[in-house]
Amino acid sequence: MTIAATMPAVRASELTLRYGRTLALDGVAFTLRDGVTGLLGPNGAGKTTLLRIVATALAPDSGQLTVLGADPRTGPGRLAVRRRLGYLPQDPGFHPGFTAFEFVDYVAILKELTDRRARHQEVRRVLTAVGLEREAGKRIRALSGGMRQRVALAAALVGDPDLLILDEPTVGLDPEQRMRFREVIAELGERRTVLLSTHQTEEVMALCQRVIVLDRGTVRFEGQPAELADLAAGRVWTSGAREPGALASWRTGSGLYRHVGDPPPDADLATPTVEDGYLLFVDPGATQGGEGA
Amino acid sequence: MTGEEETPMGGLGWHIPDGELRRYADRALAPPLLWSTEAHLAACARCRHRLTVAVGPEPVDGGWDRLAAEMDAPAPRPIERLLTRAGVPEHTARLLAATPVLRLSWLAAVVITLALTAFLAHLAHPAVFLAAAPLLPVAGVALSFGPRVDPTYEISVVAPMHTFRLLLLRCAAVLSATTGLSAAASLALPEFGLAAVGWFLPALVLTTLSLALTPRFGPVLAAVAVGAGWVALVASTWGAGEAGPAVFVPAGQLALALTGGLAALTVARLRRAFETPRRIR
Repeated sequence: MTIAATMPAVRASELTLRYGRTLALDGVAFTLRDGVTGLLGPNGAGKTTLLRIVATALAPDSGQLTVLGADPRTGPGRLAVRRRLGYLPQDPGFHPGFTAFEFVDYVAILKELTDRRARHQEVRRVLTAVGLEREAGKRIRALSGGMRQRVALAAALVGDPDLLILDEPTVGLDPEQRMRFREVIAELGERRTVLLSTHQTEEVMALCQRVIVLDRGTVRFEGQPAELADLAAGRVWTSGAREPGALASWRTGSGLYRHVGDPPPDADLATPTVEDGYLLFVDPGATQGGEGA
Repeated sequence: MTGEEETPMGGLGWHIPDGELRRYADRALAPPLLWSTEAHLAACARCRHRLTVAVGPEPVDGGWDRLAAEMDAPAPRPIERLLTRAGVPEHTARLLAATPVLRLSWLAAVVITLALTAFLAHLAHPAVFLAAAPLLPVAGVALSFGPRVDPTYEISVVAPMHTFRLLLLRCAAVLSATTGLSAAASLALPEFGLAAVGWFLPALVLTTLSLALTPRFGPVLAAVAVGAGWVALVASTWGAGEAGPAVFVPAGQLALALTGGLAALTVARLRRAFETPRRIR
């Protein structure tokens, strides 16, 4: 099943949530449609909180939210969303001693697949989809980090959900595992809505049709990755020395320094990237680079 | 059935008519024609080939898939086998197998605790056993479901299966296990007579009370608060009963039952709070 092209899978407005005195989300508004959308932001920006709200794990203090045409504030609406949702938490936990098959089977039961034969066929299907059919009988504690992450993704795919929410799915993976994961996610995004949070701008460029930049609980940008990069046009330049006045300044592999901010009049402007656009929105103190490659 | 050719096995040859073959493929044949057809298919390569051509590879592939699924499926764990033998549905048994406190290590800890308290009850006072036994299910429930103790808690919360139902299932499993073990331990106190099962009502009440407090304080803090309150109550009413705490005399048990009833009503009223917790971690 896919969501009709005209109907957003998720529509949020004025979402607010507090943890005690901390304002985690402050009037967040965005819309999600088919394809992969990246949620980009620094640590503590509110990404995980926002994903948990969309996944119906948390209820916002205020604001409006429609997910897959249902209102998650009501019991029937929440159930309707959960039946069409796949969720990969930031730190997926596993019952010790479970095999990959047993874990996905357990999640399939939670997703109301009670018929044993149909359930086991579904477990095999999702394990194959993430390339783990040969590891089905292995204990999860014996699997690598990348494989565990794929087991968790397989569990999220049970029931062929229309909306997939992935909280930093590639964190901690080596480059090869990351590439493998990207392939799977890109394929999944061809016929459903995928919302993934990440710190990595290259992941957004590689995977996402749209991007949302979240910083200190507010949406700072929503649009296509190319549009985010374009926002930095004329504000990225290179030179032979560090620029103390720039928002961000770092030495690149070529030996030149790349700067983001307000350029001097005679600056040698460079083609902006998504990362440059992103740096313009987030707290410069949190991202000020050293002599990175 | 009709046919006049000789089969490869010799004998008078006949083959299954097309209509019957189709009905067999559609699983529409009824016994005894079904048995006759299957016996013939087992012996006749030509009819098997006709069957394959007529129905295509899908049913066979489906059969292989089902077979592979059965072969890949993990063997049920001992606890699952035990539960299914007791009449629990297979899928529920799998859910319960993931209950942290149904592991052997926890059950062993419960057995040791009960043995020690029963021993102390002999040495000191039966109230030692009666006061300690109700705390075991409270601890068990607190360690069975919650953001810090269940590794799949976050996935469970967003699953279509109601979180409250999963919680109640696990509570029932924990209560059953601890009640059975506590009852067995009570048999080691024959000299106390029926008073040796005075722990039963407090166990139910304290567990329900900790569930009622869980949406507000979380499972662990709620269990600690209820446990501490219980110990304080037992200590403060020591001697008010007949040579023991007042909570174990009939009037005390009645008061406990009323408290448990109120707690159960509160749990029922707050059940929706378990579906979208205020905190995940």
